[in-house]
Amino acid sequence: MPSTQKPMRYGHTEGHTDVCFDDIGSCIVTCGSDGDVRIWENLDDDDPKSINVGEKAYSFALKNGRLVTAVSNNTVQIHTFPEGAPDGILTRFTTNANHVVFNRDGTKIAAGSSDFMVKVVEVTDSSQQKTFRGHDAPVLSLSFDPQDAFLTSASCDGSVRVWKISDQTCVTSWPLLQKCNDVINAKSICRLAWQPKSGKLLAVPVEKVVKLYRRETWDNQFDLSDNFITQTLSIVTWSPCGQYVAAGSVDGSIAVWNVDAQECVERMKHEKGYTICGLAWHPKGGQIAYTDTEGNLGLLENVCNRDGKKSSGKVSSAVTKDYNDLFDEDDDFLNTDLIEPRSSPRVVSNEEDDDDDDLMLASGHPRHRGAIIEDDENSLDTALMKVNSNLEKDDDNDQDGSIPVLPVSTTQRPFYDGPMPTPQQKPFQSGSTPSHLTHRFMVWNSIGIIRCYNDEQDNAIDVEFHDTSIHHATHLPNSLNHTMADLSSEAILLACESTEELASKLHCVHFSSWDSNKEWTVDMPKDEDIEAICLGQGWAACATSAMLTRVFTIGGVQKEIFSLPGPVVSMAGHGEQLVVIYHRGTGFDGDQCLGVQLIELGKKKRQVLHGNPLPLTRKSYLMWVGFSAEGTPCYVDSEGIVKMLNRGLGNTWIPVCDTREYCKGKSDHYWVIGIHENPQQLRCIPCKGARFPPTLPRPAVAILSFKLPYCQITTEKGQMEEQFWRSVVFHNHLDYLSKNGYEYDENAKNEAAKEQQELLMKLFALSCKLEREFRCVELADLMTQNAVNLAIKYASRSRKLILAQRLSEMAVEKATEMAAPEEDEEEEEDFRNHLNAGYSNSTTEWSQPRVRNLLHEQDMEDSKEADAVEEVEEIAHNTLQIFMCCFFPFSVTKAVITSSSQGRVNPFKVSANQKDPTAHSANILDNMSKFSKNTPTPNSRAVNKQKSPVIKPLMPKPKSKQALAATFFQPRPPRAGDKAVEEKEEKAENILPEIQAAPTENTENKRPKTGFQMWLEENRESILADNPDLEEADIIKEGMSRFRVLSSDERMIWTEKAKGGAAGNSAEAKKRKRPADAKNEGKEKLEEKSKEDSSLPKKRKPLDPSTNVRLSAFAFKQS
Amino acid sequence: MDPAEAEFLAEKELVTVIPNFSLDRIYLIGGDLGPFNPGLPVEVPLWLAVNLKQRQKCRLIPPEWMDAEKLEEIRDQERKEDTFTPMPSPYYMELTKLLLNYASDSIPKADEIRTLVKDTWDTRIAKLRLSADSFVRQQEAHAKLDNLTLMEINTTGTFLTQALDHMYKLRTNLQPGESAQSQDF
Repeated sequence: MPSTQKPMRYGHTEGHTDVCFDDIGSCIVTCGSDGDVRIWENLDDDDPKSINVGEKAYSFALKNGRLVTAVSNNTVQIHTFPEGAPDGILTRFTTNANHVVFNRDGTKIAAGSSDFMVKVVEVTDSSQQKTFRGHDAPVLSLSFDPQDAFLTSASCDGSVRVWKISDQTCVTSWPLLQKCNDVINAKSICRLAWQPKSGKLLAVPVEKVVKLYRRETWDNQFDLSDNFITQTLSIVTWSPCGQYVAAGSVDGSIAVWNVDAQECVERMKHEKGYTICGLAWHPKGGQIAYTDTEGNLGLLENVCNRDGKKSSGKVSSAVTKDYNDLFDEDDDFLNTDLIEPRSSPRVVSNEEDDDDDDLMLASGHPRHRGAIIEDDENSLDTALMKVNSNLEKDDDNDQDGSIPVLPVSTTQRPFYDGPMPTPQQKPFQSGSTPSHLTHRFMVWNSIGIIRCYNDEQDNAIDVEFHDTSIHHATHLPNSLNHTMADLSSEAILLACESTEELASKLHCVHFSSWDSNKEWTVDMPKDEDIEAICLGQGWAACATSAMLTRVFTIGGVQKEIFSLPGPVVSMAGHGEQLVVIYHRGTGFDGDQCLGVQLIELGKKKRQVLHGNPLPLTRKSYLMWVGFSAEGTPCYVDSEGIVKMLNRGLGNTWIPVCDTREYCKGKSDHYWVIGIHENPQQLRCIPCKGARFPPTLPRPAVAILSFKLPYCQITTEKGQMEEQFWRSVVFHNHLDYLSKNGYEYDENAKNEAAKEQQELLMKLFALSCKLEREFRCVELADLMTQNAVNLAIKYASRSRKLILAQRLSEMAVEKATEMAAPEEDEEEEEDFRNHLNAGYSNSTTEWSQPRVRNLLHEQDMEDSKEADAVEEVEEIAHNTLQIFMCCFFPFSVTKAVITSSSQGRVNPFKVSANQKDPTAHSANILDNMSKFSKNTPTPNSRAVNKQKSPVIKPLMPKPKSKQALAATFFQPRPPRAGDKAVEEKEEKAENILPEIQAAPTENTENKRPKTGFQMWLEENRESILADNPDLEEADIIKEGMSRFRVLSSDERMIWTEKAKGGAAGNSAEAKKRKRPADAKNEGKEKLEEKSKEDSSLPKKRKPLDPSTNVRLSAFAFKQS
Repeated sequence: MDPAEAEFLAEKELVTVIPNFSLDRIYLIGGDLGPFNPGLPVEVPLWLAVNLKQRQKCRLIPPEWMDAEKLEEIRDQERKEDTFTPMPSPYYMELTKLLLNYASDSIPKADEIRTLVKDTWDTRIAKLRLSADSFVRQQEAHAKLDNLTLMEINTTGTFLTQALDHMYKLRTNLQPGESAQSQDF
């Protein structure tokens, strides 16, 4: 019979503990740092008797109904046992005693203290004391010779001494241990022991061996060692028969040796590897109780069952040894592999009870805390794979058939020292609490909550919807004992496992069905159990123990079936996407080995993730899997790390949040119920001291924010980088949606692009400040065209000319790349021209004088060379256009979009974005918000470029191009249809003044008119009079040719005028303009009005309806 | 100011509710509210919370202090001290009254809380009366009354000031030397 290791249980709060059996072995007694001595009927005793002996109990001894304890008030006291009544103080020290022991007949106790002293006291007469001085450091452990002649002690000074009790002299001393200054620093507590009865041998744990010394000669007889022991042994105890020695190590290994044969007969490892600090044999042998420094109590049963079987046991062990040699290491491995999971079902059942208790217990009970700490492991165990045990059974049979010897070999547990396979986690439903609870959540997701009550009076399921407009709350009887559930806005899906008579059933309550039959049920084939279920939009799916995934329509039609590569862990659905997590294989050392499949079940069926490994944190298991509200797969592991599929980087997984960071306590957790990408919210329920919430009191949802684990998050740079990438990751879904033809919010996309560009710009500015020009260029590489333009401005403004130069090169490159696929040669040139113009003239925005110079130069040129006019004209208009892009569209679109999207305009709505536009010149970065509002996303950039000619009514473009441009944005915004375009063309001339009107005075001041423009304004009437049917572009052409005909003097006059106009009051310019264009009279008024109001930008909104219409038409073209 | 006005002011106090409907952000004179997501806690003014609750559009999460244990502590503290102790909310009375009237089903131990708050209130009002009495008796010119809530001040404010006015009038009209003893006021 191999020894069996019962699972550890909570005994005391963490800290040093001690354990022993009472005289007859009827109960286990432990003491711990909580100052209690507990009497356990057996290991499963949930209500041990506690005797409080002090604040902390360091050690205790039990004999003849007396309980002697060493406690923290530096005394050694007696209590009666088992009553626990105090029975006086035996002795005192100046510090606490570390170890107390009884002699064999229980008449004397020995106590060793941290004040270097050892005392031996008569139990009945405490005045009879003997003091042993000689140790130079705190005494660790003591042991009485069974014949009462000697006492051995181990001390922190590194020595183990043997004292003669009669005259308190030191007989011998061995320097065996590492020296240290205090008990807490001691590597080993060196619990030594004399062989019972005869006292012939003294066992001392020294590093990795147990040294045995012979009585009287005090020489080292032999050592007991084993490869299994890899860490220092700290505790040794003899079996009552004196044949075996058990030793415990600081890493939680326990080994038992047969002393005569000097061979190791038992090896066992503490399940969590905590330091063993108490080890006790049952007085009749066969059982070893042990405790660890975390306060847990464990029990080994059937240790060295020697009664009558001693010889046979030996034989078989010898046999096994041979076989072991025969079969080599591999078999060892195989065996452990077999044994490990076979004991696991028992583990599960026990642990589940434990869990139960944890839940029932109110917080605050000292037991609770310890149990929760254990909980990590427990839940792992509870999550063991059932399938695994089935498989193991099969394996067992195979083994029996082929190699009949192996089961025999299990009498002695073959030892395998390598990575241990992790029990596979059981399948689970996301957002559910463990199924053994009487009151549990079957699912809590973004739609609602399904609770299951399973007590004496009621077995029912309660469904509650967060949004009562989906469906009212319902109450379903649970006669079939459903254990799995999922909830969507269309249906409730329930499933139960098979029983002896009934097959496993899938039950769907399709409440959104329009016919009267709202429910359907499907039976699984025999011997096939449903293990996970999920709902998508219009479909339901279940994964079964036959490793099949079955897809149904929401109405109950059976659809696809596919095989899973491994036993399912969990599955989730969203829209047309189905994600299945399964075991790819066996994980080792606490890791799970999971795979993930992501399948789209829509019209276009395809597999997105082909069983890729699921990256889990080490030693963790899966806790939650699902989709964000926007449809991105996410999961949470037991370490609280939330990971999300990053579709922007080849479907990799990116950690987006560490919920443990938000936890206050070590044992607090967040129970995730949903993830939203826009707004970025992680919805979860804080659970104090637990992994999951109880159903009552009703838990409240908390919202956590996401944080990508970027480096140096405390610095400004790190923060912005994190924000930028977070924004990118959390807007991947928009690209995905648009690619797959779903509807999505254009506004959100623009908003995101704006945010990203803003962050890039800030980062750019920061790097500029830090003189990191290379980094600036790298950043600019991530920017959109418009942002790059701004960056160039910023660079030249902060006098980084080289940087500006490089950036403009890059911008050109970018532009060409962008333009190449869509535009022909000519246009490209035009485009470049335009860009260059943009750079040189964009300076207007921040330095007025330079602009004037520039313009002046241009005008000079203009006067010299008639042909130059055209060019300058172009430049001027390009500048104008950039300004329009920069400032105009934002304010207008904002107003129009909000009003149109909301239906009714809310007069109280104050939008944070609606800043006073007059402030724009204060800081370039401020412009970002307006600027990038309009920033096109990469793929639409070319389109925007195309669009720009339309905004420029004065641009000398042939009509065909306008039409071309129109087709470009036709499909995008629904309202910017042909009509708008036509309107645009018709009113082209009207719109220009509007465009000019909308930006504030400030902009207008800065946009001086060229001579030609002024001339054109004056003479437009006459041109029109001559050629009434001319298009706008043709008017300009005509105008240009006429302007060229003018004498240079006349042209100079206009140029002068233009300059004067620019410098002077812009209102004057307006006045001059007014008589020129009678048609614009009305608009002009508006313009003035808007100017008056420019200081109060809010008032500008209620423009007259016609303007609004036109503005909206314009706005839609813009965006 | 009468109690109804004090209550009106208290209705601006924010409380947390869990709506069971979905609504975008709403823009009101007093500020923006929402967005309302079913199942997600959101802070709204008391008046809206009560309104939503009456229409069964939300569940209410009681304020943190509205907990039997904490209130017991507050009550004991209030009884122990001679002066007024700080209250958990400047509108504790109004909040308790409104929430317990309209949302007692979402507040655990509602009755206990009602009693505890009433006890605290009674203690404080008794203190207030007592101090007003000694204030008048000792003919003090001023008194310091910290930690009083608006509602509490209102219970006695008008009356006390008027009474003091009257007394002042009577006192100033007292003719010195006349047979004041015979006058009974």
